Amino acid sequence: MITFLWTACISLKKGKQVLDRKIGIVNLSRNSVKILDMPKDIRAKYLGGRGINTYLLHKLLRKGVDPLSPSNVLILGAGLLTGTLVPNSSRFNVSTKSPETGFLGDSNCGGFFAPEMRYAGFDHIILKGKAKKPRYVYVEDGNIEIRDARDYWGMNTNDAQISFRKDLGDVEVACCGTAGENLVRFANLRTGVKNSAGRCGTGAVMGSKNLKAVVAYGTMGLKIKHPQKLLDVVKEVEDYILGSKITPILGSVGTPLLYEVSNELGAIRTKNSQLNQWSDSLNAENIEKEVEKMIGCSSCIVHCRHRNKLGGEGPEYTSVGLLGANVGIDDVKQMIELQNIANDLGLDVSSAGTILAWAFELFERGMIDEKMTGEKLEFGNFEQARSLLHDIAGREGFGDILAESTQAAKKFGKKSEDYLIAVKNLPQSDPHDVRYIKAFALGIATASRGADHLRSRPTLEIFLRLPKEVKERIYGKGVSLDPTSYEGKEKTVVFSENIFAVIDCLGICKFICHGFNSPHFLDYPRFETLLEAATGMKYGRRKMEAVGKRVVDTERMFNIRQGLTRKDDTLPKRYFDDPMPLGAPKGHHIDRKEFDGMLSRYYKLRGWDEAGMLAPSRVEEIESVGGLP
Amino acid sequence: MKVLNFYPERCTGCRECAMACSLVKFGECNPRKSAVTVIRDEFKRYEYAVFCLQCDEPVCVDVCHQNAYTVEDGVIKHDDDRCIHCRLCAAMCPYSAITVHGKDIVKCDLCDGDPTCVKYCATDALVYEEETKEMALKRKEMVERILGTP
Repeated sequence: MITFLWTACISLKKGKQVLDRKIGIVNLSRNSVKILDMPKDIRAKYLGGRGINTYLLHKLLRKGVDPLSPSNVLILGAGLLTGTLVPNSSRFNVSTKSPETGFLGDSNCGGFFAPEMRYAGFDHIILKGKAKKPRYVYVEDGNIEIRDARDYWGMNTNDAQISFRKDLGDVEVACCGTAGENLVRFANLRTGVKNSAGRCGTGAVMGSKNLKAVVAYGTMGLKIKHPQKLLDVVKEVEDYILGSKITPILGSVGTPLLYEVSNELGAIRTKNSQLNQWSDSLNAENIEKEVEKMIGCSSCIVHCRHRNKLGGEGPEYTSVGLLGANVGIDDVKQMIELQNIANDLGLDVSSAGTILAWAFELFERGMIDEKMTGEKLEFGNFEQARSLLHDIAGREGFGDILAESTQAAKKFGKKSEDYLIAVKNLPQSDPHDVRYIKAFALGIATASRGADHLRSRPTLEIFLRLPKEVKERIYGKGVSLDPTSYEGKEKTVVFSENIFAVIDCLGICKFICHGFNSPHFLDYPRFETLLEAATGMKYGRRKMEAVGKRVVDTERMFNIRQGLTRKDDTLPKRYFDDPMPLGAPKGHHIDRKEFDGMLSRYYKLRGWDEAGMLAPSRVEEIESVGGLP
Repeated sequence: MKVLNFYPERCTGCRECAMACSLVKFGECNPRKSAVTVIRDEFKRYEYAVFCLQCDEPVCVDVCHQNAYTVEDGVIKHDDDRCIHCRLCAAMCPYSAITVHGKDIVKCDLCDGDPTCVKYCATDALVYEEETKEMALKRKEMVERILGTP
C-alpha cells in the first residue's frame, strides 16, 4: 500500500543542463518538501558531492546536536560529474553528524543510486526531522514525495530493495537495514548488494528519522556542455587507464590483492592488532575461486566488485582483513559469508570487524566476562561471529552493547579504550597496521571523519622503489623515501587530503585517480579538462586544489564546533606503545614525540595554528560563502 | 558483413555504452535515452545489453505506415522527419530493441559503421565484428537450450 503524503514538484526542462539539478529539502516532521536551485557561489566554491554536503552540514547543524535526534540532518549529495560518461563517475556522499563518533559523519558510495538521483533531477537531498511513522522518500523526474514505508520496515537491505523494485519498477534505492532501524551506531546506508555509505553510522541516522529509504527513478539526462570534447577526452583517459598495469589486476581480483601486499609486508591488522601477520589462505587467488563474475558501478571501467558464489557481492580488502585476520578467521568462505551477512543487515564491515576483535581481546584479558557477554568469546569462532552480527543488528543480548560501537567503552570500562583501534571514536577503516608506514599513521590521525584511509591514504608510500624525482614532483621536496621516516610526511598527507576531497566533490572513484593506486592516473589537469568539457566551468590547478583545501577546512570547522581539539588528532594507544611483533616491521611503533612534531608540521602546512584551529580570516572567508536561503 | 555482437559474460553492467550513445545522439548522458540499453539487476544477478539486431526481415520496417524506416546496406535507419512517434515499431519489435524516451524514438544505426558503444566498452562485451565461429556456436547452444535438446 502506498500513501501519497506530500508531493513537491518542479518544472525542470528535461535534459537541460548538467548544472541544473536541484537541492531537495525533505522535512519528515512536517511532511513537507522544498526544492531549491543550487546557489552559484556554493557550486563554484565546493563543486558538488562531499564539498557541498559539508557546506550544507556546517550551515545547518548547531553545536551539540544529538546525532540520533530529529535535529540532525542526513544529506545525500551526488558528485558534479556523477552519472556522466566520465569513467567511474558513480559516486555520492552521505553526510551527517555521526552517532558513532559525535563528529563529522561522511561516507562516499558508488553503485547506481547517485546517477539515478541526478537523472531524477536532484544533486542533493537534505533529510530533516523525524517522521511519526515509517516513511520512504520517492524521487522521480523533479518530484519528491514522502510515502508510507510500513510494508518495507523490518526488512534487511536486500529484501527491501527487491521489494521496492517489485512495487515500483526499475528504481534505485538507498536504504537502511534492520541495523539502521535499531539505531546501531555503525549501521550503514546501502544501495545494491554491496555498495554502501558505510562509515559513521549513516544508516542509524536514517533509522532515527523513521526513514527506510530514498528511492529514485529518473529519465532526465545530463546535458553535456561540449559533447564531442567529452567523448574525446574520455576515450583518451580510458585507453590510458585500461593500458596500465594495475587496472587489469583490480578488474580481475579487486581490492583483496592488497591483503597479500599488506600481509607480506607484515602490516595486516590481526586479532585486534596484537599481531601483524596472518594466514595466506585469505590471499586473492583463493578468493577468486569463490567469484562468479566481476562487475562494475555506473560508468566504471575497472569493475573491481566480485559477484560471489555465496549469494552476495565482495569481499573488499576491508572485509578480508577485518572479518578475516582481525577476528582470527582464515577460511575464505567463512569470511565472505560474514561480509555478506553484514552487508544485508546494513552494518559497516570496518566497524563490525574492529569492534568484534576489540571485545574478543577484552574477554581474553578478563576485562569483560560471561556475565556481560553471555558466553565465552574467542577469536576464530565463525559461528560466534556470525551470531554476534545478527545480535548487533537486532540489539539483542551482548549485541546491544556492541551496537554502541566505540561508545561501548562506557560499559567495558575506561581501561578498555587502551585496546580500541579507533581515532575520533571511529574504528579504523582499513586492515592496514599503520605503525610501520608513518604517513599512513598521520593520515588516519588527521582524517576528518576519524580513522580512515579514504580521506588521504598516500598509498605511494608503500612503493619502496618509487624514484625520488617522482615523489618530489608530486609532494614537493623534503619527503623522505623511507616509509618508516617521519620526515616530510605531512606533505604527502596534505596533498592527498586535498586531491581526495576534490575527487569526492566530482563523484569519481579514487581507483582511477592520482595517488591512490598509481601516480599516473587522473590528476588535477585531467579533472580540469573533464569538468570543462562536461559543464563549461573553467578551473586551473590552483583553483581546483583550493576547493579541496576549502572542503578540508570546512570539515575542520564543523568538527571544531562539535568540540574537536588537537588531542583528537591522535592514534590508538597500541600504535604508540606496542611495537609490532612479527616480520620485517618487528619493533616498529609510532614515537609520540616524532608524531607530535609531524602533526605540528601538518597543521602549519594547512595554515592552522598549533592547537589545530583555523585562522579567523579563513573562518570568515568560509562563512561568507553564501546563497542558501 | 560485420555485426554488433554482445557477450553477456564480459558485461559488467557499467552502462558506458549507453552513456556514449546518448551523448553522441542527443548531447546528453542518459542511459534511458540510448539505442543500447543495459538491463541489469544485481539481486537477480545479471546484466544484458539490448540493441537493434538489424534483422533481415525487420518488423519495424513492415509495421511503419509512415515509411520512416529504410534499409541501407543491411542497416535499418530511422528517419525522424517522417516519424509520427506512434511507437508502434517499439511495441512490435520482438527484441524490445527500440527505445522510446518521451517523444524520441531511439534506434541503433551502427553509427555509420563505427559504433560508438563499442569504442567505450572497456571489457569488449560489445564487439563490432564479422560473424564468428564462437557466436555461431553460441547461437546453436542457445537454441538447443531453449528447445531442451539434450
